[in-house]
Amino acid sequence: MDRLKKGEVNLGTSIMAVTFKDGVILGADSRTTTGAFIANRVTDKLTRVHDTIWCCRSGSAADTQAVADIVQYQLGFFAMTRGKPPTTQTAASIFQEICYSNKDRLSAGLIIAGWDERHGGQVYSIPLGGSLHKQPYAIGGSGSTYIYGFCDSNWKEGMEEADAVAFVKEALKEAIKWDGSSGGVIRMVVLTAKGADRHLYLPDTDYKVRHAV
Amino acid sequence: MAMFSQNPTMNGPNYSFSDTPRAAAPEGAREHRFDPYTDNGGSTLAIAGADFTIMAGDTRLTSGYSINSRYHPKVFKIGGTTADQSDATIALSVVGFAADGEALKERLDAICKMYQYRHGKPMSVKACAQRLSTVLYQKRFFPYYAYAILGGLDEEGKGAVYSYDPVGSYEREQCRAGGAAASLIMPFLDNQVNFKNQYIPGSGEGHALQERERKPLSRNEVETLVKDAFDGAVERHIEVGDGLQMMIITKDGIQEVTLPLKRD
Amino acid sequence: MPGFDFSNYNRNAALHARGVPLPKATSTGTTIVGCIYDGGVVIAADTRATSGPIVADKNCEKLHYISPNIWCAGAGTAADTEFTTALISSQLELHSLSTGRKPRVVTCMTLLKQHLFRYQGYIGAYLVVAGVDPTGTHLFTVHAHGSTDKLPYVTMGSGSLAAMSVFETQWRPNLTQEDAVKLCSDAILSGIFNDLGSGSNVDVAIITKEKTTLKRNYIKPNERTQKLKSYKFARGTTNVLNEKIIHKADLGNFVTVEEISVTGPGDKMEVDA
Repeated sequence: MDRLKKGEVNLGTSIMAVTFKDGVILGADSRTTTGAFIANRVTDKLTRVHDTIWCCRSGSAADTQAVADIVQYQLGFFAMTRGKPPTTQTAASIFQEICYSNKDRLSAGLIIAGWDERHGGQVYSIPLGGSLHKQPYAIGGSGSTYIYGFCDSNWKEGMEEADAVAFVKEALKEAIKWDGSSGGVIRMVVLTAKGADRHLYLPDTDYKVRHAV
Repeated sequence: MAMFSQNPTMNGPNYSFSDTPRAAAPEGAREHRFDPYTDNGGSTLAIAGADFTIMAGDTRLTSGYSINSRYHPKVFKIGGTTADQSDATIALSVVGFAADGEALKERLDAICKMYQYRHGKPMSVKACAQRLSTVLYQKRFFPYYAYAILGGLDEEGKGAVYSYDPVGSYEREQCRAGGAAASLIMPFLDNQVNFKNQYIPGSGEGHALQERERKPLSRNEVETLVKDAFDGAVERHIEVGDGLQMMIITKDGIQEVTLPLKRD
Repeated sequence: MPGFDFSNYNRNAALHARGVPLPKATSTGTTIVGCIYDGGVVIAADTRATSGPIVADKNCEKLHYISPNIWCAGAGTAADTEFTTALISSQLELHSLSTGRKPRVVTCMTLLKQHLFRYQGYIGAYLVVAGVDPTGTHLFTVHAHGSTDKLPYVTMGSGSLAAMSVFETQWRPNLTQEDAVKLCSDAILSGIFNDLGSGSNVDVAIITKEKTTLKRNYIKPNERTQKLKSYKFARGTTNVLNEKIIHKADLGNFVTVEEISVTGPGDKMEVDA
């Protein structure tokens, strides 16, 4: 965490995104910390950059918010001038351009996931240096180190929606359990042809019940 | 930038102050070491009168922006023969690092007690003061991080105050403030106890003006000064507050008083 | 060039490299809070400003005006919170004038975060932004590095833990205005008494759709205690070594004196409705 500036708000995080049969699912914990203080215990780290293109943010809260705001603007502009929604790949490229050209100034680890008419559900990961990786699923943040094994063992190509939701939830539950800087609620966004659908699971009910957002 | 000095060892801007450049740690390097000291804040004060000494301290114990205790005494009776120190004749106040203060107090108390057993008489303040200096200097290279003030009555029955630095340099004084708010309280004491910067109105012109004559203060006057000094310190220093502990040392023994202070 | 003056940067960097410490800025080691209730939002702050361990101001104002319906509570470097809120207040007023719409809280929050992000944390302003606009009631926190959060109740500053412990034990949904004011002032009191960086009095601002009520020194739990003795000195106690009297007629030798007519130059400008 030496990359963070002194006193900076940190998303010591567990984030992930997976593709499934009908689209993609993004998932994240909700803890934001400044040092030992939890600045926000119900953070929304899943950020909309277009109707069916979202991103998971990890690293500096300020940096990732700034980047996401810029991309949201660019994609909005893109959609207006071209008269059609952008593809996930376009979004990921804009993210990469910003992250790579400012690599010495940013501490942002992003996962971009989206659904578009041409390619269906896609997941892209942009780690610290600003490289871009297209993956069937991606995990990130400090909590992800604890769930590489879990995800590797339990991931299946082309899951049903319910199975994919369960996979994401179980993975994040483990990450939250073992990682001290992850915690709070589990948030998910399901992106399909039908649009975006938000999920919320609270620790009060052991993440079992889906609550209204 | 055309403002570099010709001196190769001082290869930097040539300013008039002469501090040597610091050896900078390499980028990213961090010294990782246990730090044995903490500053626990608080302030103490001692004033010697004609036939009494008043020792005082606030009772707040802090670390950083936190209050660890609202009642942690800083003034102690030293060298009594009973469990409650009821027959003690000397008082010690300590500020700085609370753990070292506690250890120092325990050491000095044990020393005074041993003296009593060996010699069959209580230690004089003068002897105790010299011994405290030795105790502090023995830890010259790993000091007690504590500013101590010792108070009692001397052989003639006059009030005596001895103040120390952490490594044992000491002197007998009329009054002394120690700790966090020392710089706030000490000038007030200079003015109100030793009448510094006070002149007798109309007694002369310019340098010929006569200084106000020093006279020993009464016990009531000193108690008032102590309370007002701490009330002032509490207003302007964040580490001072909660309670005021006072010990009044007279030939009849040591009387202890605690009063409330502001708690913000 | 508009903005900050960096002309002393090289000199100061050289001094700093030689161990000369930076000048100490007045920091509002503070407790500030905010809480949404049914019908509006309440923000509150303590009134202590510190410089290191010394109390620099016993009754400073940490609730800053942005627009009639948007107010800010500031923690961090006093000057930064003061100037940043003033700057954004000005920009928002101009924006409001040019669009002919009432300022929105999200607009204020976005201007603040983009300004602070640009300065990468060097502007040490930590803010609670609260307000009611045509889109509803809003409460945000903005950190110095430019990150923002949107929550029903928030705390910031060195007393944020003490204050948050009050919210986390006492907060419940559907508060009344009285409940929210009580909760916020209790949270500030917790900061005042348990955090050394916070102290003195409680300031509260209540923002509703209709109006904003600023309750300066809503609670004064730390009135100065009366001195036991009078410290009035007799005239002549201080030694006067030399004396020089400048008469009003000779004032022109030292400063430029310009007479101004009491009746000002014509019409006043209409500034507010």
